[in-house]
Amino acid sequence: MTRKADVVVIGGGVIGTAVAYYLSKRGKKVMVTERYDHASGASGSCDQMIILQSKNPGIHLKLALASGEMYQTLARELEYDIEYHNRGGMILIENESELKIMEDFVARQKQIGLQVEILERKDAAKLQRGLAEHLVGSTYSPQDAHVNSIRLNLGFARAATKLGAEILLETEVTGIILKGDQVEGVETTQGPIHAPVVINAAGAWAPQIGRMVGLDIPIKPRRGQIIITEPVPPYVTGDVLSAQYIVAKYNPDLIKNSESRAIQLGVGLALSQTEKGNILIGATREFVGYDVKTTREGIKEILKNATRLVPGLKEINFIRTMGGLRPYTPDGLPLLGPVKGLEGFIMAAGHEGDGIALAPVTGKIIADLVMDGKTFMDVEALNPNRFAPGS
Amino acid sequence: MSDATDKVYICRCEEVTKEEIEQAIREGATTLTGIKKRTHAGMGLCQGRTCRKLISGMLAGKKEPAEIIPPTSRPPVRTAKISEFVEEDEV
Ligand SMILES: Cc1cc2nc3c(=O)[nH]c(=O)nc-3n(C[C@H](O)[C@H](O)[C@H](O)COP(=O)(O)OP(=O)(O)OC[C@H]3O[C@@H](n4cnc5c(N)ncnc54)[C@H](O)[C@@H]3O)c2cc1C
Repeated sequence: MTRKADVVVIGGGVIGTAVAYYLSKRGKKVMVTERYDHASGASGSCDQMIILQSKNPGIHLKLALASGEMYQTLARELEYDIEYHNRGGMILIENESELKIMEDFVARQKQIGLQVEILERKDAAKLQRGLAEHLVGSTYSPQDAHVNSIRLNLGFARAATKLGAEILLETEVTGIILKGDQVEGVETTQGPIHAPVVINAAGAWAPQIGRMVGLDIPIKPRRGQIIITEPVPPYVTGDVLSAQYIVAKYNPDLIKNSESRAIQLGVGLALSQTEKGNILIGATREFVGYDVKTTREGIKEILKNATRLVPGLKEINFIRTMGGLRPYTPDGLPLLGPVKGLEGFIMAAGHEGDGIALAPVTGKIIADLVMDGKTFMDVEALNPNRFAPGS
Repeated sequence: MSDATDKVYICRCEEVTKEEIEQAIREGATTLTGIKKRTHAGMGLCQGRTCRKLISGMLAGKKEPAEIIPPTSRPPVRTAKISEFVEEDEV
């Protein structure tokens, strides 16, 4: 049987299903092909933060602000409980040098329109119990929120299906059908699908799809390990990160020659509690290819770091660990939009550690670009051709 | 089917009913992991030791038993206190 659609989306994670939902809403006939199942990639093994204040002031924060706005009505729109909660978030600051960097970071974020401030330790301790004595303070933003990423993924898929999209699970794309430099569809393990537009939303696997059409996509899998505790009464109110993580993320040179195992593994605190009461404790940032295993060393370093910052966690039991692959890009920004020289081939991948936060805005931007050739904000910095030689 | 049979709990830790599992199968879940994602069955304290067999039985109509991929329950298989894990080699 030959299938036909207006648009084929490769990948059924949060990004692929968000794209499918916003395109279906605008009347396109969409087919999503997912190799395994929803939430089988990064979208099913990640933290749950829609954290705005971890974003670099600039396009990254602008995207997050737009997405954060969309989240406020998303559950109602999808008619599905995505366990969205707007409880704010804080970034823990351990010493004066981190404080200086965060003061500058916060000042620049405010200019872009984020509500964020710096708190002294005693005020931070009112918002989050169990904090370490040595902390000098924290940032706080009331705009941070969180969401259940698996339910988000399933919610987008269900809502897209209701609007007429077809989702083919256990259907792997094995090739792209081309006529000259025009895309005409995809080959899958369940037969071909014909469509004039193909969207690569394969997350950390996007480069494998790129290779099918001779593209060199600079996305790399970056493993994150996370620990899940038993359900406990409300303990972590909002999202909690550490400044150490932000400093390392945006100033990699500062830690390049460090001998600490935790730093080599890219450990940074990410703490939040699910609706069921489980606390998620993350995470590492490691380049180890496509290996999603968790390691004893990784888990130990995450827990050491977490209990150093929030000693109150020590008495809690953990029940599970998991590893997921963030789609890393060299400049930390996703690749969104049409690829030059390949008519109909569109990128929607490379969200690294922010794909949950950025899923709604990504879906909207891609739908706008497909329908109108432009969108509501300047997305030139996300142009997928920016890494091509000579560009 | 009567209400009485629908209210059968398959996963007792997370209180997941037979009907919720059937719904997940209708939505495309073909593996234990797929069921777990859609319903939380098997994600509780016992990590699926009780419900795994029952759910495999419900999935058996969909797939060959050999194809029903076991879910990804990862270490620690038993619960561990964070302090014990962190301090284990610091003595
Ligand atoms: C430990 C960790 C913590 C994180 N915490 C957060 C957080 O707090 N907040 C936040 O915003 N983000 C967070 N992230 C990042 C977020 O998880 C990702 O950015 C996001 O899930 C990416 O979504 P995606 O749909 O692009 O990729 P994925 O969810 O990986 O989906 C890609 C899909 O493509 C499918 N696929 C691959 N190849 C093929 C093929 N040939 N044919 C068909 N299908 C194919 C895969 O099976 C997969 O399902 C975290 C990530 C990790 C690992």
